[in-house]
Amino acid sequence: MTDYSYFPGCSLTSSAAEYDVSFRLVAAAFGIGLDELADWNCCGASPAPHHWGGELGILLPARNLHIAGAGHPSVVAPCAGCYNRLKYAQFELERNPELRERTGAALDEAVRYQTEVLNVIQLLNREIAPDDLSERVQRRLSGLRLGTYYGCVLVRPPEVVRYDDPNNPVKMEPLLNATGAATPHFPFKTECCGSYMGLAKKEIVLQASKRIIEVALECGIDALVTVCPLCHQNLDLRQSQINAAYGTDYHLPVLYFTQAIGLALGHSPAELGINTHKNADFGNWTLDVG
Amino acid sequence: MLGVFVCQCGTNIAATVSTDRVVQAAKSMLGVVHAESIQYTCSDPGQRAIIDAIQQKGLTRVVMAGCSPRMHETTFRRAIGRAGMNPFMLEMVNIREQCSWIHSDIDEATEKAIDLVRKGVARVRRQKPLQAGSSPVTRRALVIGGGVAGIQAALDIADAGIPVTLVEKSSTIGGNMARLDKTFPSLDCSSCILTPRMVEVKQHENIKLMVNSEVEKVRGYIGNFEIDIRKKASCVIEENCTGCLICQEKCPSKAPDDFNVCAGESKAISIPFSQAVPLVASLRKEYCRLFIKGKCSVCQKVCPAGAIDYEQEDIVVTEKFGAVVVATGFGLYDWKQSYPTYGMGMYPDVINALKYERLLSASGPTGGRIERPSDGKEPRDIVFISCIGSRDESVGRPQCCSIGCMYMAKQAILTKEHIPDSQSYIFYIDVRAAGKGYDEFTRRAQTDFGAIYIRGRVGKIYPRGGKLVVMGTDTLAGDQVEIEADLVVLATGLTPAEGAGQLARRLNISTDGQGFMAEGHPKLKPVETNTGGVFLAGACQGPKDIPASVAQAGAAAAKVIGLLSQEELETSPMVAEVNQLKCAGCFKCRDVCPYGAVEAQDARDGQVAHVIASLCQGCGLCNVACPPGVISLKGYTDNQLIAEVVEVLR
Amino acid sequence: MPKTEVKIIGFLCNWCSYAGADMAGTARMKQPASLRVVRLPCTGRVNPLLVLKAFREGADGVLVSGCHPGDCHYNEGNYYARRRMEVLERMLPALGIDPARFHYTWVSASEGAKWADVVNEFTRRVKQVI
Ligand SMILES: Cc1cc2nc3c(=O)[nH]c(=O)nc-3n(C[C@H](O)[C@H](O)[C@H](O)COP(=O)(O)OP(=O)(O)OC[C@H]3O[C@@H](n4cnc5c(N)ncnc54)[C@H](O)[C@@H]3O)c2cc1C
Ligand code: SF4
Ligand code: SF4
Ligand code: FES
Repeated sequence: MTDYSYFPGCSLTSSAAEYDVSFRLVAAAFGIGLDELADWNCCGASPAPHHWGGELGILLPARNLHIAGAGHPSVVAPCAGCYNRLKYAQFELERNPELRERTGAALDEAVRYQTEVLNVIQLLNREIAPDDLSERVQRRLSGLRLGTYYGCVLVRPPEVVRYDDPNNPVKMEPLLNATGAATPHFPFKTECCGSYMGLAKKEIVLQASKRIIEVALECGIDALVTVCPLCHQNLDLRQSQINAAYGTDYHLPVLYFTQAIGLALGHSPAELGINTHKNADFGNWTLDVG
Repeated sequence: MLGVFVCQCGTNIAATVSTDRVVQAAKSMLGVVHAESIQYTCSDPGQRAIIDAIQQKGLTRVVMAGCSPRMHETTFRRAIGRAGMNPFMLEMVNIREQCSWIHSDIDEATEKAIDLVRKGVARVRRQKPLQAGSSPVTRRALVIGGGVAGIQAALDIADAGIPVTLVEKSSTIGGNMARLDKTFPSLDCSSCILTPRMVEVKQHENIKLMVNSEVEKVRGYIGNFEIDIRKKASCVIEENCTGCLICQEKCPSKAPDDFNVCAGESKAISIPFSQAVPLVASLRKEYCRLFIKGKCSVCQKVCPAGAIDYEQEDIVVTEKFGAVVVATGFGLYDWKQSYPTYGMGMYPDVINALKYERLLSASGPTGGRIERPSDGKEPRDIVFISCIGSRDESVGRPQCCSIGCMYMAKQAILTKEHIPDSQSYIFYIDVRAAGKGYDEFTRRAQTDFGAIYIRGRVGKIYPRGGKLVVMGTDTLAGDQVEIEADLVVLATGLTPAEGAGQLARRLNISTDGQGFMAEGHPKLKPVETNTGGVFLAGACQGPKDIPASVAQAGAAAAKVIGLLSQEELETSPMVAEVNQLKCAGCFKCRDVCPYGAVEAQDARDGQVAHVIASLCQGCGLCNVACPPGVISLKGYTDNQLIAEVVEVLR
Repeated sequence: MPKTEVKIIGFLCNWCSYAGADMAGTARMKQPASLRVVRLPCTGRVNPLLVLKAFREGADGVLVSGCHPGDCHYNEGNYYARRRMEVLERMLPALGIDPARFHYTWVSASEGAKWADVVNEFTRRVKQVI
């Protein structure tokens, strides 16, 4: 049993609570210990680095890194946005001694920033061998065609996150395939969903997310799989807004990576919080166990 | 009697090195009786000044401080030779490339120049007069690669009355040009201008054509190469085959159609195209049912000429040549892995431009009807994307393919001619059309043939309703564009031909950063290599269009003809020499010599080493290996090198 | 007076590294004035004793550079050189010479930029240990 520090971030405690639940279920099934960071704070999300300028976008995640530094060797941040901010802070602290000084001053002690930061795909790939997962599958997802949707910030900028191929990430695929699901070629796996523009200029999100869904359907995909709460929101929650704006009739389910694996392990959609999604109809594909 | 001449090279040297101070310092060096600085030593007045000084002061050794010896050593050897000196009593000291051009502090650069001159003086003081040797020249040339460049070179050399062997790897000559439909900028038909030349090769009395053949081993040196050529078994007796194609028709085993870039399908026994030279079938064992399953022999039964021989074996022939022309051409960059957002080859309607040439060609698999690979439909909207694997640092390929802009314009024009209601879109970085008539040509593609040029890169290609959506940026309009295309054609970068690196190693010539064969000097030796007697022609040296390939081939041929018109060649006298009185007879030198230049000779008590001067290439390996240090490389003796080290550190 | 510039002896083969150094010069790539080049036909001509001689005569550093393995003008000269230099490098500490003052490498005729890097980097290194 390996223990990891766990940084849930704001989303996983609110709008993406089902992500947290499903992650914990999968982790438990494979004996992965998750120690939630004590007194963690906001990762800075999009506004801190982009709108408030200065160093807030580094200082906020730096504090979380600092806390993690007192715990296990690695910290996992399932939300792609949180992951990106933590990696960014680490990247900047690593190369900028003066920033390290200032951060230390703000923390009243030398900043601990070298804890390994993992995203959820990385963690599960490390702890679960595809063959093991395949053996543990209770509900084989054969026949289900999953579109792996990585979004932007998990793999970009590549020199900062250094994770997977930024143009063609493929690290979700092995575990998903081990559940029996197919992962057909999906050209929009890193296309932007519109991100936080949903608040400022909704049309942008509707247009961007519409195209992702459209191409997914063109590729014969039954459900999208993501690791980002914001992407999830734009693609699932706003699907009805897309339909209203474009006169489409989309009902494409969007799952968290951990939910897809949870389904394969035999958990019910309700246990995994899939019922809280707006689009949870898998069509011909039945969710029966066995 | 030693003279030192310090070149100012205009301001090239004099701006950073105080040549006066160097002259002053030289005057006090041991043995120096004359030192002066000259504005341009290599110029006619400069050389005359040197000759005058030699004759007036009776100089016997000369140090030339100036540019790199790689630049002008021969020039100055000739000059002092003309003054009556032994040409090898010269030492060149490089105070330009390796001094004035790389430093900015005058004091530092001058001090270094003085050190270097002192080193040169010390070295030339220990130099002995040497006599260049000579070796006979084999009057026969080898041309490797039978594309348009190799064909041109072979014909030019053969026309001068020199026998040529043309070695081609595939089963026919013609190379990539044989695959093209029409050619920019004149739009003449590629086969119409190429096939007569191919036939000429076949019929030329001075050309021996070897197809299915490759160079396997190279020995010797300029004027005297001895080369093994392996001719691979093709299971067809070349002399018997009439090219009737019955075997290909009846053969049950399908095989990839390499000539058509897999736009069509071929058979295990085939002739790649109907104008092939020689018009002889070849069998590819890896696809043949007989060789895979042990049962078939259909071709043997149907061949009316009795030309099939399944037992045929590779043959290796060894021939002597005086000169070699390398003309192995190019391959195409495989874009699939590096451009995952273009579908990694999952979309059959995303093809490379060479395949498109085959779809355009009247002699191609579709008879010149443009059909898209997925469903055979005639496309209407065609998108061309330039610079795939060219000028793209993100995939580690910064170089320009130098022909893409031109052939995209050509293909857009031809597309319009084939399908009048079609629309071509060309994504470009900038249009590079520097040749004669080239810019006009690309403009005609736009004005007369309606091609739409979009400046920008394509980010993604994805399917929508049987079409492909091409997403890109228009950097002039500052906007994103999306085009629904029926067919996407990629102008992929050029790479060296497969196996070029291995061949380069066999020939002992260098390759550049991208693996193309390296020329001797980018400006002054564009067809030479750094191995004497080996020349380059065509796209093997770097991406090139046909006119440039043919021009280079002609130049290479002229070099070969010049070389082989000599009866004998001067050889470098800087070879190894054994002091046989002190030789212990251990033959460590013979063990390390890469050229087998050391032989044993009987002496009074046992055997001693002897260097065969005509074989020695002067590498000096033996000099280091010899335990008592009695075999030494003339011009680079231990004494000389030690003196250099000591003096430069003084 | 403090030594402003170190003196480094470079043993360069004529076909690759010497040409590469020329190329760096043609491209005007600035380098410290530390290096004094001895031109040789091939790195296979570099006697390890010559390197030691240079140290004994007071060289601050010695650099040996030739064609990349496989590219030697004489086919195998640099393989011999590699073995010889490898052994020499390991022997240096026993002779009281900091191995950081010795470097052998491969630079081709087309690698002008690499050559400039090698000279800059090696000079920096030598200055550090001297
Ligand atoms: C899509 C496309 C369109 C083009 N259109 C035009 C055009 O319109 N106009 C124009 O001027 N140029 C055009 N070009 C460029 C033109 O094809 C080249 O300039 C020309 O083919 C170069 O000739 P080459 O003889 O140097 O090389 P190649 O044509 O490549 O010939 C090399 C030959 O050497 C053989 N070979 C390779 N390795 C070995 C070996 N180890 N031993 C023996 N033989 C070997 C090969 O089999 C081949 O036969 C185009 C190129 C492309 C890709
Ligand atoms: S290595 Fe020296 S001693 Fe030995 S055989 Fe050769 S020349 Fe003679
Ligand atoms: S110098 Fe010595 S090792 Fe080199 S080719 Fe001549 S004899 Fe052979
Ligand atoms: S010729 Fe350069 S290392 Fe041998």
